[in-house]
Amino acid sequence: MKRAAPILLMAVIAAFVLLPILWTLSTSLKPLSEVNVHPPRWTSPQMSIQPYIDMFFFLPFATYTANSLIVATSATILTLVIGSLAAFAFARFQFAGKDLFLLVFLLSQMLPGASVIVPLFQLLTEVGLYDTLLGLTLTHAAVLLPFAIWLLYGFFCGIPREVEEAALIDGCSRLAALRKVLLPLALPGLGATALFAFLGSWNEFFFALILTSSDTTRTVPVGIGLFVGEYTDIWNQMSAAAILFSVPPLMVFLAMRKTFVKGLVAGAIK
Amino acid sequence: MKRATPYLLLLPALIFTVFVLAYPLIQNLFNSFYQVSLVRGTGGWIGLENYEKVFRDSEFWLAFRNTAVYAVAGTVLALVVGLAFALLLNLKLGRITTVFNVIYTIPWVISPVVAGFTWKWLLNDNFGIINHWLISLGLIHEEITWLGNPDTALLCVAIARLWQFYPFAMVMFLAGLQAIPEEQYEAAAVDGASMFQKFYNITLPNLQSVSAVLLLLGILWSFNDFNMVFVMTRGGPMNASMVLPVLVREYSFVFFDLGKGSALSVIIFALLVSLSFLYLKALSRREPA
Amino acid sequence: MKRLLALLFLLSLLTVSCGKKHDGIELQLWNFGDLPALIEWVRSRVDSFQAAHPGVRVVQSEKSWNMIRELLYANLTSGTGPDVMNVHANYAAEFGGAGFFTPINTFEDFEEVKSLFEPGLMESTRHGNNYYGLPCSGIAFTLVCNADLFDAEGIAPPRTWSQFREAARRLTKDTNGDGKTDQWGLVLLGADRGSFSYRFAPFLFKAGQDILTDDLTKVAFNTPRGVEALRLFVDMHQVDHSITPGFLAYHHSEVNDLFCSNKVAMSIEGPWFRTIVDQKSPGKKFYTVPVPVPDHMIALYDSLPTLQDMMMYSISAFTKHPQESWELMKSMRTLEADMDWITKDLGGIATTTGALYSPEAERKEDLALYRRELRFARPWPPHPGIISIANNVITPWVQRAIVGELSPEEAMAGAAAEAQQILDGKK
Repeated sequence: MKRAAPILLMAVIAAFVLLPILWTLSTSLKPLSEVNVHPPRWTSPQMSIQPYIDMFFFLPFATYTANSLIVATSATILTLVIGSLAAFAFARFQFAGKDLFLLVFLLSQMLPGASVIVPLFQLLTEVGLYDTLLGLTLTHAAVLLPFAIWLLYGFFCGIPREVEEAALIDGCSRLAALRKVLLPLALPGLGATALFAFLGSWNEFFFALILTSSDTTRTVPVGIGLFVGEYTDIWNQMSAAAILFSVPPLMVFLAMRKTFVKGLVAGAIK
Repeated sequence: MKRATPYLLLLPALIFTVFVLAYPLIQNLFNSFYQVSLVRGTGGWIGLENYEKVFRDSEFWLAFRNTAVYAVAGTVLALVVGLAFALLLNLKLGRITTVFNVIYTIPWVISPVVAGFTWKWLLNDNFGIINHWLISLGLIHEEITWLGNPDTALLCVAIARLWQFYPFAMVMFLAGLQAIPEEQYEAAAVDGASMFQKFYNITLPNLQSVSAVLLLLGILWSFNDFNMVFVMTRGGPMNASMVLPVLVREYSFVFFDLGKGSALSVIIFALLVSLSFLYLKALSRREPA
Repeated sequence: MKRLLALLFLLSLLTVSCGKKHDGIELQLWNFGDLPALIEWVRSRVDSFQAAHPGVRVVQSEKSWNMIRELLYANLTSGTGPDVMNVHANYAAEFGGAGFFTPINTFEDFEEVKSLFEPGLMESTRHGNNYYGLPCSGIAFTLVCNADLFDAEGIAPPRTWSQFREAARRLTKDTNGDGKTDQWGLVLLGADRGSFSYRFAPFLFKAGQDILTDDLTKVAFNTPRGVEALRLFVDMHQVDHSITPGFLAYHHSEVNDLFCSNKVAMSIEGPWFRTIVDQKSPGKKFYTVPVPVPDHMIALYDSLPTLQDMMMYSISAFTKHPQESWELMKSMRTLEADMDWITKDLGGIATTTGALYSPEAERKEDLALYRRELRFARPWPPHPGIISIANNVITPWVQRAIVGELSPEEAMAGAAAEAQQILDGKK
């Protein structure tokens, strides 16, 4: 009986938390004439999944989704690899300028997007990476790195040196120790970082908008933005796209939840 | 070879950071001392004139105040909510907790642009469900123009952002809670400590470092958050919700005065750097294990 | 294993990014505008152009209006971006003046092409001695009146400011007896600063009021007439409460929803209104009339100017294929192409003389009205800073007066002072 009260409370909270999503879901099933009427209604007489179908004809969402998938996955992998190297350096070495470098990575999160966009744009154009998935991937990785390094640094710190040292004593090379001993232990931490990176790239809008231009490189957030224009607002299809688009990260999150939590507990919280 | 190893390991990350930080920063610094304006043409060195214009602009001070409130109050609130939810989820209530855990984390997964639009429609004065409920429940008599009223606009954007950001805090706090050794609580129980005392003397101190990190990151990210305000209000009504990142865009892409936009960017950067510096000094430095 | 995966992904990226080369000439056409019918129209024009010019490939991209300025600026200053694009005609001063657009009067057959268009509209693409685009879609701001509400009340669409105010007052009511107003006379689009200024300016113009002096050096709107125009709205909001209270948060979408659900009786709109209303309530009836004029100027009702906005097709100054771009642009602006703007609802009015006075035009609803309004309509003064003045000066000051923070006199004076600073380069 003692459990009922907190569970009830949590259920009420859950309803409030889900409110915006449920409303988006409701909008995604209505015809345009029944979106935003007075008084507002959750259901309407002609609900159907038509918007989910129409959206693919309005804009090439299949392409957009593929692009988002490629960019997010690649940016995540890139961030993990480069971030791990840097975090490993911070966690296991003492060297001159260490604090300065840490500070530099922290500082790189401090310029607002609007300040970075024009120089970044010009840079990418100069090297021919404007309007390419590669250019966007590299940009995302650069933006995600500082936080990833921070996280991974915490994880690696949380793994005692003795574990590697034991392996070294047993005759492993440094690299082998890294691969066979440290990485498996750091897996939860890597998983957590991967999740952050994936989400960050998947939902990123601002850079994707300015740094890509054609349909073949467009990602989904930018595509969703196209439903809202100067004169037309196709809310139902936009909501459908939003719902569909939230499914992959949600699935990734669900799949990685246990690792994710384990990773945080093991590392970043020290 | 051994001595160079850490630097080599850092090199790739540094290269990326140079492009995303150093190059734009230098460009902004450079442009801020020149006249770079589409309207008035790109001219020569004008010294601190761009900075003077920014500081003389009442819109800047308004945006500064709004951003500070949005970032600090918003983050603190997100931490409070996150902690509260984490505490709830930490009660040993069985498998149903997992369901709630997932549900509470969902807002984090939604794209900020979508979240902005959705909240905008929830808060619509005539067609939004929130006004509808408030009136049906008799809590208000007339529709509230949430986003059309200068007094409530920023608050609404802050609530939308809270909704998006609290899961991050919640997840970190939950992990933090689970990392607290059980023995500490058991020892306290032996000493006859109350629940409140346990919370205050054991839970909170253990969460200190997590809170410190969350606070810094949260404020930093909110300070530079462009999407939410832009999508929901564009900085309106009548600049009531104008924040610094949106103002940079105004200067650079509506006025097309990149000199002024660069000056503002440099000011924002300097501000955040000083803030972080002071903040980190106040905390003890992280030590490797 | 992980490394292998990473390599594979990077390889796939490389292939994707490499797979975009094309032999022959490729033109980038940027289309700002999201009406599906409009996108279709552009596609069909592009198809017929490519059929006639086999060596040229046109890549058509739809772009969002929301970030048009960032996109254009970033691209044009880097020398990339589109070859041909459609923009507001008043960008001629800003972008044309800054050397981002190719002056089209340098092409051989320019005079011949120029003669196709309504002279007044063609002039709107001019800045200094150069023309920077071909008119595409003409917009004149008018007043739309909800037929359901006007007919039920038994009143005719207003012609003077007094009638306008009276109509709004009478059509503001509590329709379901619950003690709250739920129908309003007028809705203003307050959330988008540009759009708001476009709704206030027609009233200034109809009052015979200029925005800037002819030489574009001084502010001209801070006069008794200008103050009267502002006072009209202030009184409607503060005294009659006939303007929707939440107007500061409204975009096109909210206006459309309110209009279609009969919660507002009037709005200041343009030719696109038919299209967006049809999206939500197909066939909903409304009257389109000229923007009302001050009472004492009723004799000039038929010839007072409203605000003109226009889209034009322009060529980037950084294009590598100016001649082909010009050919593409011309093919989008033939008489045949322009007739589509008469026969279909593309969100604007045709701009060639041939189309505007064609037999089909006579049959089209409201076209005669738009045609007449377009003839006398005036655009924003062609100063490069006018968009800043409209968005960042006129709109905030006017809005503050309407919500009662300042008197109309104070607001106009404040706006004039700030606008003058922009003109003088001090801001």
